Amino acid sequence: MSGPTELAVELDDVGVELGGAALLTGVTLAIARGARVGIIGPAAAGKSLLVKVMAGLIPPTTGRLRLDGVDVTGWTEARLAPVRARIGMLFQNYALYDFLTVAGNVGFPLAQRGELPDAIAPKVRDRLRAVGLAGSEDKLPSQLSGGMKKRAGIARATIAAPDLVLYDEPTAGLDPVTTSKVYDLLRADHDASGATAIAVSSDVAGLCTFVDEVIFVYQGRLAYRGPTATLAEAPDARVRQFVSGALDGPLVG
Amino acid sequence: MLGERTLTQLGARALAVAREVGGIAILTGQVVRALVPPRLDGRELVRNLHRMGNRSLPIVALTAFFAGGLMVVQSAPFVNRLGATSLAGWAAGYAVLREIGPILIGLMFSGRVGANNTAELGTMTVTEQLDGLRALAIDPIRYLIVPRVLAMLIMLTALTILGDLIALAGAAVVAKLVIDIDWRTMYASFADNLTPTDFLHGVQKSVAFGAAIALSSCYFGVTVRGGAVGVGRAVNAAVVAAAVSIMLLDFFITYATA
Amino acid sequence: MTRPSLVERAARAVGRPALAAARATRDLWLVLVGVLAGVIRSYRPGGRRPPGALLEQLYVIGNRSLVFVAVTLGFIGMVMMYQACLQFSRAIGDLSQVGVQFLRLVVSDFGPTLTGMMLATRVGAGIAAEIGSMKVTEQLDALRMSGVLPIDYLLAPRFVASIVMTIALSLVGGAIMYGAGGLTAHLSFGVNPRTFFDPSLVLPRHLVLGLLKAACYGAAIPVVAGFCGLRARGSSEGVGWATTAAVVGSSFAVIAIDFALSVGALWLYGGEL
Repeated sequence: MSGPTELAVELDDVGVELGGAALLTGVTLAIARGARVGIIGPAAAGKSLLVKVMAGLIPPTTGRLRLDGVDVTGWTEARLAPVRARIGMLFQNYALYDFLTVAGNVGFPLAQRGELPDAIAPKVRDRLRAVGLAGSEDKLPSQLSGGMKKRAGIARATIAAPDLVLYDEPTAGLDPVTTSKVYDLLRADHDASGATAIAVSSDVAGLCTFVDEVIFVYQGRLAYRGPTATLAEAPDARVRQFVSGALDGPLVG
Repeated sequence: MLGERTLTQLGARALAVAREVGGIAILTGQVVRALVPPRLDGRELVRNLHRMGNRSLPIVALTAFFAGGLMVVQSAPFVNRLGATSLAGWAAGYAVLREIGPILIGLMFSGRVGANNTAELGTMTVTEQLDGLRALAIDPIRYLIVPRVLAMLIMLTALTILGDLIALAGAAVVAKLVIDIDWRTMYASFADNLTPTDFLHGVQKSVAFGAAIALSSCYFGVTVRGGAVGVGRAVNAAVVAAAVSIMLLDFFITYATA
Repeated sequence: MTRPSLVERAARAVGRPALAAARATRDLWLVLVGVLAGVIRSYRPGGRRPPGALLEQLYVIGNRSLVFVAVTLGFIGMVMMYQACLQFSRAIGDLSQVGVQFLRLVVSDFGPTLTGMMLATRVGAGIAAEIGSMKVTEQLDALRMSGVLPIDYLLAPRFVASIVMTIALSLVGGAIMYGAGGLTAHLSFGVNPRTFFDPSLVLPRHLVLGLLKAACYGAAIPVVAGFCGLRARGSSEGVGWATTAAVVGSSFAVIAIDFALSVGALWLYGGEL
């Protein structure tokens, strides 16, 4: 299924309100197919919410969402299912099913689209080897460390060869060495599949080793968008302050 | 072998129960010791009483009303058969005051206040707030647990006394609406047949239920392990333990006071 | 900004909870409809269902509640019979009616309702804790990303298992309660077991009413608990809140259903019930 445009994700004046509070306002952005885009911003700026809107998990209160040129705003869960089958997502809290083993988790997306266990097992083994979790097939998520859970989550997000991968905080809470390993893994995956990758992270330096372009979200609005290389010289003073970590500047709170 | 596995599971379960009972007993000892000499944070006690009372009054009142009504509905066929409407108030009132009232109100209180208390203490435990108190040389038992235990004990007793009255009112309303017994007959039936002993029998049970709910809910709260999943499990364990304790205590008190 | 007038404040004080209650009622209704649709989708011939989930839930809800239900209903049966005998001997002086009346009540009400109350505590809290923690750890979102409806995947098997097991446990619990009652009447009051265990007053409609109650409780508990779990927000506080709400909500559902069905049956049959 190929859309009429080359845009993987398109948000048109999207706003999200929950319980009377505006969490996202007037977000308009388009991300080209195959791009690698990072989303940064202070805590509670709406970064995670933004990727959940892109995945169709949270319906926008106003505005439109187009995936591969198809307007999916307001679609039911059942109608969204085939669209989501082409999206992989790593969740902030890993979201590994605690009632399934690592292999069961990673193979879950394949099992849900009706693939047989015999066909799933080798794919799961390959994917786990690729993320460095070979041998952990039969462990339960509760037996894994934080970094291993992240990698299992990445394996699950990418096993079905999605066209779009959303990574919500792929390295939060990980040590520097594991962080580098995770970004190496994301880069290798992208080189192999060419899928559109969108990553949310608070770790700007690490993120910039992976993405080509950065979006800065501030108080529920899209405040800046520009290439990674020139981020430190961005015209927006808030972005410069956020990236440099300076205490003085225009950022509030 | 199946038999062997079942036995192993049974043994593990028995050990777990023994550990929980022992833990609750130790906590009881700590609470009692913290009360001698009675140094009590009065403000914290009043705050807890207020909170717990506010939170549970609506559901307790509603439950009591239905419980009274239910007892009338259940005794209706019997009353009809004997043709003695004067017995309706006796049967319903007796069941409500001695058994159904304290038990149902206790179960509801355990669900509302006890479970909530477990969730609160559990959240404090997983977010390391109890360790924070200890670091400030504040005894969590004295500061957190004792006021809650006392407040639950007092509040459940008070709610049971109030709930008894509401249940009798519920019985009268349902008797009027469903089997058409007028208010005066019902009142006379209550007044002639129910004694202060019946009332006190139920109230003394509620004191014991209150203690059991309070101690088990605090115990499962402070022993939580493992984040959000752990808190959910602890609440589950606390309400189950409270329900079992209520039934066991009910049995022993009934026999001991006969 | 001017201070809102007294009328305005009063309207808000009433309006906001009323609105919240209306919204909650609508959401509860949506969960019920969703579960029913999910059960049909999953358990019709050829429907897609998670393999082994129903069997596992039958075990978790049924087998693992057996000891709990047996202990609690056994003790309450003894206590009830003790109190009943005390009263009957005081007021009527004749204990020959105790057993037959008790059996009628156990079959049509006490067996299923007390079992239901106990399961509302155990099963209701369990389902809410499980689904609530899956909600706050984004596992439900992960299911949706794989094209799975969380209600179909998680609640449908629990719904079916809960109905089956509430009926089964009501029968077991009722039997234990009746037996414990008979034992008490015999040991403490010398009632002849032959007089006690006399089923002559129990009619088929009593059994139908009891089973209907059990089925309704079994259906209500996972729906109310699932609704509470799905509403969980935040982290451990959210899960704690959901579990608490599930215990109170499903216990109260049992009482309300009991009341409605008992009054309905009384109206239908009058004094003949």
